[in-house]
Amino acid sequence: MRLAPDPEVEKFRADFSAFLDTHLPTPEEATVRSKSSADIPDWARRWQRTLFDEGWLLPAQPPEYGGRNATLPQVVAHLEELSRRRIYHSFNPQGLNIIAASLLTFGTEQQKRDWAIPLLRAEITASLGMSEPGAGSDLAGLRTRAVLDGDHFVVNGQKVWTSGAHDADVLLTFVRTDPDAPKHKGISVLLIPTASEGLVRRPFGSIAAPDDLDFNEVFFTDVRVPKENLVGPLNEGWRVANGSLGHERTLLWVHYAERMDGLIQDSPCDEEWYATLQMDVQALRLLGYRLLGADRNPVEISVLKLLGSEAAQSAELHALEHHGTEALLHPVQTGPYTHMNIEAFTASWFERYARSFGGTIAGGTSEIQRNIIAERILGLPR
Amino acid sequence: MEFEFDDEQRLLQRVVRETVTRTRSLPEDQLWDTYLELGWLEAPPVELAIVLEELGYAADPTPFLATATWFAPLAGRLPRGSGTGVFDGEGRFVLDADRADEIALLTSEGVVVRDGKDLAAERLSVFDPTLHVARVDAPDLVAGVPDLALMGLAVSTVGSCRRILDLVVAHVKERHQFGVPIGSFQAVKHKAADMYVAIERAKVLAYFSALTIAEDDPRRGRAVAMAKAAAGDCQRVCFRNGFQLFGAMGYTWENELQIHLKRAKAGDLLLGTASEHRKALLV
Ligand SMILES: Cc1cc2nc3c(=O)[nH]c(=O)nc-3n(C[C@H](O)[C@H](O)[C@H](O)COP(=O)(O)OP(=O)(O)OC[C@H]3O[C@@H](n4cnc5c(N)ncnc54)[C@H](O)[C@@H]3O)c2cc1C
Repeated sequence: MRLAPDPEVEKFRADFSAFLDTHLPTPEEATVRSKSSADIPDWARRWQRTLFDEGWLLPAQPPEYGGRNATLPQVVAHLEELSRRRIYHSFNPQGLNIIAASLLTFGTEQQKRDWAIPLLRAEITASLGMSEPGAGSDLAGLRTRAVLDGDHFVVNGQKVWTSGAHDADVLLTFVRTDPDAPKHKGISVLLIPTASEGLVRRPFGSIAAPDDLDFNEVFFTDVRVPKENLVGPLNEGWRVANGSLGHERTLLWVHYAERMDGLIQDSPCDEEWYATLQMDVQALRLLGYRLLGADRNPVEISVLKLLGSEAAQSAELHALEHHGTEALLHPVQTGPYTHMNIEAFTASWFERYARSFGGTIAGGTSEIQRNIIAERILGLPR
Repeated sequence: MEFEFDDEQRLLQRVVRETVTRTRSLPEDQLWDTYLELGWLEAPPVELAIVLEELGYAADPTPFLATATWFAPLAGRLPRGSGTGVFDGEGRFVLDADRADEIALLTSEGVVVRDGKDLAAERLSVFDPTLHVARVDAPDLVAGVPDLALMGLAVSTVGSCRRILDLVVAHVKERHQFGVPIGSFQAVKHKAADMYVAIERAKVLAYFSALTIAEDDPRRGRAVAMAKAAAGDCQRVCFRNGFQLFGAMGYTWENELQIHLKRAKAGDLLLGTASEHRKALLV
């Protein structure tokens, strides 16, 4: 255990800081705003491309994937700097953090070239097609079928909640390839271009507004997908879903902790919950550092997700109540406008609280995380 | 910053765990001699935290916590025998003052060390009869709680809570109702999971505070307040869920759960509850 900053890390931080000072788009350049989690305006595409070219996009990766072989503590410093300035390095976060990251872990060399690099360079965007009307928490119950026919898979079925799909070029889609196997064993992952014939996307509004379009239903009718778009081995999609994404997931939660600093800044008050928020953020950060450091049980990521998402939600609720009747007002700005941020994070208090449920529902609900902790950490019977 | 134990710290943790398990049934004075022999009283803050977490887990009956974290930071040395400190400005609820060989007093004139015998501290009757707290009558006392004392109570409380969770997990796997282990009921699982998360949260904040003390970091004041508050939050969850999940068994004197519940609760009530430390964080 050591507090003192490592000179290597501080040098890295200073370099990144200097890069940001000179390369960050100006507010004037960035007036066009992103409309969904897979819509990257032109200026933001140029920005992400610059990050890629200069090795600041995914610093832990080698230069050909937008990095500079950075160490984990350096990667943490990178996230800290981005969050401190409320900068989003990609306006297609799932494309970068989940889909490109999965391809770099599980993809073939050709998939990395054809899909991962264009995603990293913001030439294309991607969405994640996991959930279905009948398969939410029980993801392994998914029924969208893919049948091999010559050198193509033929896909039929439906996804839902697919964030940003209407603006995405490709969907990382979880499909059933072996209906006779036990449900976790017959799933595969396909990259399905959204321009494919037979693929229909229908965006629908969120709780924030009918024209806040991020959610989609996606329908597949005899969609033909080239065999080489299979990601990872056939019928091993469950492994991709639970990703041996290495430290990627932990880093997402470290990033989340850093972003919660924004909430601390936006809601100063002298009520007890405000101290709780500061403790939660600090604990989340420390749990993240600890998980990155040692050979710990990767299932502990559930602790981070549960603690982080519930802490944010509870703080947003307190902030909402703290403002009393005024908190009904919408739209209003509740944090500083920074052009590199995603607006939802500084939306009205009511909207912020409503959006905090994204954290406790998406990507495995809080209840599912508690099940995982009880069964896979504490060893309670299933 | 690095936030994981190094090899030596991991080794220490293993040694402490083994020692504590092995010596569990020894009488108090032999336990005390063992701790002294192993040099635990001299451990620097992070290592001390490792020791205290395990002693908390074991509901250690000796005056180790008071000696290492109430006496030593005040006196700037270890006592002859055992010790404690008075730093609340009042001399109420002083841990182990009734049996300390030396007592350090924080007074308007600075720190004064007195012989325990001379102060005639009066032991208070409390709900947990294994807990030694006493009233110390002395003039000119002023308040100034050492960071180490807050860290020490916080990390000991984490240890008590870990013990409660371990007892609960073993119990709910063993105990059957409706033909199945009660640990297979989701209401039970979720209570246990919440205990685990509360413990992990409190644990990292406690160790972070130990680290800030070790490196004399300017954040140490806030870090110990967070640690003490988080330990308080943690015992709330663990006391309630732990007690509840044991059913009537937990309501008995025989069951060892009661010892740890009481220790955990005392850890919050001594030196300021979670709520008080949260308020300290707001100024
Ligand atoms: C903002 C947002 C964005 C999303 N983006 C995407 C996306 O891009 N791609 C994608 O594929 N999906 C996405 N999702 C979907 C998300 O992954 C699912 O909502 C989530 O997995 C939960 O499924 P569900 O909504 O069907 O809820 P259900 O599974 O129907 O759950 C409803 C309630 O029942 C509880 N429950 C269910 N099973 C259990 C159990 N075993 N034990 C205890 N309680 C249980 C849940 O915890 C929850 O409280 C998104 C969701 C949201 C909110």
